[in-house]
Amino acid sequence: MTPASTTSVSYSMRRGRRSWRITRHVITIVICAVMAFPIYWMIVTALTPNSDLIAGVAGYWPRHFDIGNFTQAFAAQPWGRWFLNTVLVGVASVLLTVSTNVLAGYAFAKLAFRGKVLIFFLLLSTMMVPIQVTMVPTFRITVDLHMFGSLWGVIIPEVAAAFGIFLSRQFMMSIPNELLEAARIDGAGHVRTFLRVVLPLCKPLIAVLVLFNFMFRWNDFAWPLIILKNPADYTLPVGLLFLQGQYTVNYAQMLGMALVTILPMLVLFIALQRYFVEGLLRSGIR
Amino acid sequence: MNQPRALSRRQFLAASGLAAGALGVAACGGSSAPKSKKSGPATVTFTTWAGAAEATAFKQIVTAFEAANKSIKVNLDIVPYAEMFQGIDAKLQAGDAPDMFRVTYTNLGIYSSKNVLLDMTPYVDSAFISQFQPAYWSAISFKGKPYGVPHQTDTTMLLYNKDMLDAAGVTSVPDTLASTWTWEEFLAVAKKVQAKLPAGHYAFMYDWAQTGAFRWLSWLFEAGGNLLNADLKTPAINSPAGLKAIEFTQSFFTEQLVPKNTSTGNATYPDSLFPAKTIAMAFAADFLLPGDIASAAKFPYAATFQPRDVTVSSDLGGNGIVGTNQSKNPEAAAEFLKFLVSRQSQQTFCEQACELPTRKDLVDATLNWTVRPDLMKMFVQQATVLTPFQVEQVTIPAFGSINTALQNQLDAAFVGGQSASTTAANISSAVSSATAASA
Amino acid sequence: MSSDLNGARPGGTTGSEALIASVPSAEPATAAGPKGMAGLAGRWWAISETLTAYSFLAPTIAFFAVFMFLPIGLGFWLSLENSSGFGVSTFVGLANYRAMIHDPIFWKTLGNTAIYTILTVPSSVLIGLAIALLLKDEFLRGRNIYRSFVYFPMVISGVATAIVGGWMFNENLGVADKFLAAVHLPTIHWQSSSFPAMMSLVVMTLWTRVGFNMVIYLAGLQNMDSSYLEAAAVDGAGPWRRFRRVTWPMLGPTTFFLVVMNVIYSFQVFDLVYVMTGGGPSNSTNMLGVYAYQQGFIENQQGYATAIGMALFVLVLAFTAIQWRVSRHRDLA
Repeated sequence: MTPASTTSVSYSMRRGRRSWRITRHVITIVICAVMAFPIYWMIVTALTPNSDLIAGVAGYWPRHFDIGNFTQAFAAQPWGRWFLNTVLVGVASVLLTVSTNVLAGYAFAKLAFRGKVLIFFLLLSTMMVPIQVTMVPTFRITVDLHMFGSLWGVIIPEVAAAFGIFLSRQFMMSIPNELLEAARIDGAGHVRTFLRVVLPLCKPLIAVLVLFNFMFRWNDFAWPLIILKNPADYTLPVGLLFLQGQYTVNYAQMLGMALVTILPMLVLFIALQRYFVEGLLRSGIR
Repeated sequence: MNQPRALSRRQFLAASGLAAGALGVAACGGSSAPKSKKSGPATVTFTTWAGAAEATAFKQIVTAFEAANKSIKVNLDIVPYAEMFQGIDAKLQAGDAPDMFRVTYTNLGIYSSKNVLLDMTPYVDSAFISQFQPAYWSAISFKGKPYGVPHQTDTTMLLYNKDMLDAAGVTSVPDTLASTWTWEEFLAVAKKVQAKLPAGHYAFMYDWAQTGAFRWLSWLFEAGGNLLNADLKTPAINSPAGLKAIEFTQSFFTEQLVPKNTSTGNATYPDSLFPAKTIAMAFAADFLLPGDIASAAKFPYAATFQPRDVTVSSDLGGNGIVGTNQSKNPEAAAEFLKFLVSRQSQQTFCEQACELPTRKDLVDATLNWTVRPDLMKMFVQQATVLTPFQVEQVTIPAFGSINTALQNQLDAAFVGGQSASTTAANISSAVSSATAASA
Repeated sequence: MSSDLNGARPGGTTGSEALIASVPSAEPATAAGPKGMAGLAGRWWAISETLTAYSFLAPTIAFFAVFMFLPIGLGFWLSLENSSGFGVSTFVGLANYRAMIHDPIFWKTLGNTAIYTILTVPSSVLIGLAIALLLKDEFLRGRNIYRSFVYFPMVISGVATAIVGGWMFNENLGVADKFLAAVHLPTIHWQSSSFPAMMSLVVMTLWTRVGFNMVIYLAGLQNMDSSYLEAAAVDGAGPWRRFRRVTWPMLGPTTFFLVVMNVIYSFQVFDLVYVMTGGGPSNSTNMLGVYAYQQGFIENQQGYATAIGMALFVLVLAFTAIQWRVSRHRDLA
């Protein structure tokens, strides 16, 4: 991996012409403005009373900073409860998924056992199966386990996801075997080696797994839609759809609340960008 | 190295602990639906969708019922219409269904034919039954057994914006059943109005989106046609009257007299177009008056009857309320169902929600509707034109899937350019398969 | 990425290159093999290793057994049944599949899914590449900020994306038509006309997807050996020729990976379509994933819905198999 070196040739390539650099900045800024526009528009709409929107008198800039939409929406639906539900689902899913993924990834990466190839291949192949094949049977199994309509019915079935196992194994394979050898020589058994030697090294992996799993659960829509049928139990995405399903459509409220639901993710993104990018790159490692 | 044995036991425990933990977590989960208590008041759940006025009325009725029946508590669960039946279906499958839920007369058959509803026979006697207009009682019955109560009915009339019609020079609008416009007269009025409107505005719209597709049948009946033959099994729509009705309503779209997104397949209900003055006239049902129209329409508006062709007709809107046979408190549920259709309750509900009664003793009485009683009196008249045979056609058990076929085929005819003959043929075959499947 | 997933499992599927490369070889792991441990101790070590492995895997296997393999098996069976979820299910053999072949709406959704994939994949990949090329210079000031702006829509849920998209493209009140009117172009019926509805979906999809493609391309560009580019520059090649002759070919595997991932995501789109257009108008934006859901949980044709899922499965498998063979050819060439 040769970083761009400062040889004379590459320097001349990089120096370029000043006009190109300015153009590049301008183009990039335009692109960023386009990408940010939907969020900007959400904010403008959320701060406009719905009657102005219907009458078509809303402009490109909010006329007053009217938070009426937010207060009305919060009063009309149990948004606090929905936030809580979504957080619960996220936290529980992350705990279950990340712990099982890390254990499994270690087993596949560093332990020898019969059937390893077969099991790994079977697990990974499930990533090919679209949800539409399994959604009805999983629904029925969830009903039979008395988890229909409960948040556990959302959390538990989705722990079976091979993506994290794949990522975990990739990461674990990069842990040098010498470390494990050294631990064995020191008399540690498998479990202690895992807990004392491997796990502390897994912080980057766990960070990425936690972040991505939490994000997927926060944004998860199809499965909660199938399982949750009492409005008090909804998670945020289903709650948003509920809002859209009203007879008359209150655009201002809808967009305001959509904005509120994505804010936590945006905040997380800004704070933990590095891990987001890292997670993406790991999924692309060949 | 005699460590391995001890370690492997520990590993085993750890592993089984993990596994047990995972399964224990799974077993712990329970549905969060309220369970009825054994002691204390029996709790029954009633799930329904409701507009704002309807919700208020339901709440009042629940309070009155609980006051009169101290041993029963009613849990009123209001959900949006779009999620209503998906939720009911899922809950029925999961054994978690509410004790009662609201249905339309046109989709009741889906549930009654699947053996999930509470048979009301032990709870009602002939005296009770005779309080209701026969058409509506048969609408909630399946194979001779009643499966709920006929709560109310509604129908469609043509609302019009007086200012916009005056501006187009349409000053005389019929206000009696005897003098309704003919199809041709109506079309002429619509074109006259359209000519005066700026771009992006339209003469009228018909509120037949999604499950409202069945309201189109008014045009079929007006043309003298029928959906089914007298045997209520074989289709009768592929007839000259059927083709005429399809072509006539198609022309609304081809002549651009209606907004393009008001076809039967449209995902949203275009209720805000009339108050927003995007359209001058609207075929709309009475229950829209309190919420969407009365509050938002800031112009003088009135109603006229649906136009006639060979005859006058209208649509069977309205809702029944059914009990489920999964209910743990069927007696309590039946009590509440009967209370809902008592004279006082039905009167309260209809007056506040602008709906029409199903009880004989209320049909002739003058109700004090809270919004536009003058128009509601006309709606009462409009609803009287339905014939028993027409009611029977739209309340067969298979009607739910026929309604879906109507929605799709009419959509193809209106905005998809499908020919009237193909449309009629497709609807016919859908009717045949639906009635065969439900036999 | 999350915004157009099928919603159940994170990440969807990775390219089969990754898949094949990741399958462990049949030799035992080199972690703490029995070398150096003689006789009985070695055997105990190996056994405890196996026990450890299985106990570490036990929770995963338990979850997968109940919530993945069992449903897959039941799904196969269910697709052969006429089942509504209420009452009795009847075995009907291949009747669902026969009905599928004669179902015009099935073919419509299949066609729409294909069109949607064709419209979203090349464009999102190429736009991602273009932006990556724009931003690849490490010395570009504010590079990280620019990158964030392109990338952040990925963390937004499919539902929220659909809601803001539906509002921006609302044909009565939306900003897209306001814009068109402001520049004296005819306004478009984004909800009631089929092609514009599809395009509105495509635009929102691009918004959420290009970030992912850009990030992967940036990594690929970074990992590229710049000596080739320098050599080409020395030979007098201009920027376009350098791109075409050096950069693009060297990015081949990355492009390949991205095409596979994007195609599989597009095949399985659900959240965005369900919430933004509902498949309308008149099924002109209905996709296989949405249609299967509608059949399963709205029309209560659960056997048929699962059969549609199987069709989708076959398509994904076929695509993956084809691209695997093509990639093997490439690698061998």
